[in-house]
Amino acid sequence: MKLFAEIREGFGISWDAIRANKMRSVLATLGIVIGIVTVTLMGAAIGGLNGAFLNSISALGADVFYVERDNWMSDTWDEWLREQKRRPIRLPESEALARQLTLAAAVAPVSYVSLPVKYKNHNSSRVTILGTTEQYFPVSGIGISRGRALTAVESAGGRPVCVLGTQVATNLFPHEEPVGNRIKIGAQSFEVIGVLEKQGTLLGLYSLDNRIVIPLEQFRASFVGNPEIEIQIKAAELVQLDEAREELRQAMRRVRRVAPDQPDDFAINQQDQFVTMFHRLTGTIALVGLFITGLSLFVGGIGIMNIMFVSVAERTREIGIRKAMGAKRRTILLQFLIEAACICVLGGLIALGIAWPLTLAVRQWLIPTTMSLTIVGIALLVSLVTGLVSGFVPAWRAARLDPVDALRNE
Amino acid sequence: MKLQKPTRLFAESGESCSMALSALAAHKLRSVLTLLGVLIGVFSIIVVMTTMRALKANIEREISQLGGQTFAVQKWPALYFGGSEGFEKYWRRRDIGLAQARLVERKATLAGSVGIEANLWGGQVETRYQKTPPSVQLLGETPGSFPARNWSLAAGRAVSETDVENARDVCVLGDGLAKTVFPFGSPVGEHLKINGVSYTVAGVLAPKGGAVNGEQDKFAVIPITTALNRFGRVRSLTILVQARDAASYDDTVEQVRGILRVARKVPPRADDDFELFSNNSLIAQFNSFTRAVRIGVSVVSSIALLAAGIGIMNIMLVSVTERTREIGIRRAVGAKKRNILTQFIVEAVVLCEIGGVIGVLLGIGSGNIAARYLKVPPVIPFDWVILGLMICSVVGVVFGTYPAWKAANLDPIESLRYE
Repeated sequence: MKLFAEIREGFGISWDAIRANKMRSVLATLGIVIGIVTVTLMGAAIGGLNGAFLNSISALGADVFYVERDNWMSDTWDEWLREQKRRPIRLPESEALARQLTLAAAVAPVSYVSLPVKYKNHNSSRVTILGTTEQYFPVSGIGISRGRALTAVESAGGRPVCVLGTQVATNLFPHEEPVGNRIKIGAQSFEVIGVLEKQGTLLGLYSLDNRIVIPLEQFRASFVGNPEIEIQIKAAELVQLDEAREELRQAMRRVRRVAPDQPDDFAINQQDQFVTMFHRLTGTIALVGLFITGLSLFVGGIGIMNIMFVSVAERTREIGIRKAMGAKRRTILLQFLIEAACICVLGGLIALGIAWPLTLAVRQWLIPTTMSLTIVGIALLVSLVTGLVSGFVPAWRAARLDPVDALRNE
Repeated sequence: MKLQKPTRLFAESGESCSMALSALAAHKLRSVLTLLGVLIGVFSIIVVMTTMRALKANIEREISQLGGQTFAVQKWPALYFGGSEGFEKYWRRRDIGLAQARLVERKATLAGSVGIEANLWGGQVETRYQKTPPSVQLLGETPGSFPARNWSLAAGRAVSETDVENARDVCVLGDGLAKTVFPFGSPVGEHLKINGVSYTVAGVLAPKGGAVNGEQDKFAVIPITTALNRFGRVRSLTILVQARDAASYDDTVEQVRGILRVARKVPPRADDDFELFSNNSLIAQFNSFTRAVRIGVSVVSSIALLAAGIGIMNIMLVSVTERTREIGIRRAVGAKKRNILTQFIVEAVVLCEIGGVIGVLLGIGSGNIAARYLKVPPVIPFDWVILGLMICSVVGVVFGTYPAWKAANLDPIESLRYE
């Protein structure tokens, strides 16, 4: 109860002290404001970039495995070259794999080729053509915006039909309805049966909408007879992701007849490889960025400490009187700690008020940023801690003053 | 005695300095804390700049693979930042074939030497001592490439015109590769296998200076005709052209561009359908791509200095209030406003400079530790050291002026009366 009263009194005294030296308090607060603004902006930028990255790779799907010859993230150039010498993955392997897997929801073999496409006088010179089965749609989770997806019959029979990505659809059919028309892929004629939903880009580099999906059998008949494929597998249960991966690995080893003492001659790629790589890359950058911006907060803290020392020196007499009247060490300590903390938290609040519109401006013009509640909380906490840490030494010094000496101080 | 004006100014600033130092010494804790702020501000600038300079030097050396006054012509851009969509343009260009390259070689009268190069990516080199991973870079070259690439021979001979004409199975090894696959004795005249095909070693290149990691000279050179026979003719070649001297460089570039435009039937006014670049243009291109990043980093790292400046202003204001009496006495015995102003500004500047010097030293030290960790040679960014110290003085002047002005404008009588 007494402590509570002391704290309340401490607040009153610090508020008076802050108001008594307006210029001094404003400058000290300004130091903290600068520090918190920069740290908050840096945090928002890092958070925003992380979010944008996760968003841009979400097209890969968290529960989808990509069985390919090479690893997406080869550690070294030598390793990558070695992976290039592995046997290509062929269609029969995908069929055998589909029979053996129990933990997979869908298995889709996918083969790629890049070809020019044409409709009347509209051309598109390099479009990615995906040869796959009807299973591709549940695996990738890509929806259909118009028309329909491939059916199992079309897929098995290798019908000359195709589903367009939005970019191809708008390029080839600026004024017409694509569904029902026939386009030329390479030299072959295909009927458009549907249009995919807009996918955006992968990592901002590679458009996922500049593609056409056709049945794999037709792909083999028209373009590549015995194509190298990648196998996309969607796990049945998200909770059994690791089991599904292990089952997939064992099944694939059996299918490719890898001897027990040999390493895998294929790679199972997953979205989280990108995430790991990204975090490894940005972890250092974020650390350096926060360190550099943290320095300015540190400088602000030093400013507070300095001014608190001055304040203690100036108010030695006041401290002496308070102690003579029966104030405990704790009371004095609290008084100065509260004063420093008040300045810092006030600075933190002002800084958030400045950083918030700045974040919006940066998002508009430069890079994606997100100002989350976590960042706000952390910023306030950091400013409070800065205040307590930088106020502690001066407050300690004040609390330990001998009342007699303090009273004698002229 | 009335002193000459410059002498008086000198005496005055000398006095200000000594007064500033004694004032700082009087409040040790306060001075140290204030100084610490500036120190950290300068430290953050210098440490970032030192690290960036070290990295930049490293990147520039990586980029600079051509000899002096040399430029290269190829179908692909040498540096490309952007999506695969923008790259279509380069895909659609026609290859630069051997015939076009030979034409340039024949017609470029201004050029000192013209080399033709085919980059064959990775190969596996095998000798009786050692077998490398399949990541050794293979280059098909003509004799003219050697001066253009700035290669000099440590032993043996270069690829000769006869080698090219007869598509001989000879090779010249980079220093790093030679040391790996022939650990004992001279490789010249020895045999080795590249991707299973036997070649005779004709020569070894001298190591390139300044390489930190041994990776740089890990390549093998074979005659271009051999390269095209073995690795396929459907590829775009690089033409390396070395001008005779710096004066004729621009003319040479224009001549080669003209020859190629005619050979490739580029219509007038249309853009070149090939890329021309030199070391300098590559470095300039790289710098323009990274400019935004560098400016951002400079700004962020100097923010701490701003916070430090505010701290200085605050403490100088306190200092002025405390020393009101001293100011009053100085004014009473004849000090002008200007003298007081100088006294306090000099005090702020001295404070900043002490912090600045320590910050610079620490910054260079830490930056070079970072450089060492990133395996790049150490550097001292003298321009940033000077700039950093100048910024310190500016901070001192800017943030010291208001308190000093306040001190100078105190009423002498009032300040003498101040308790």
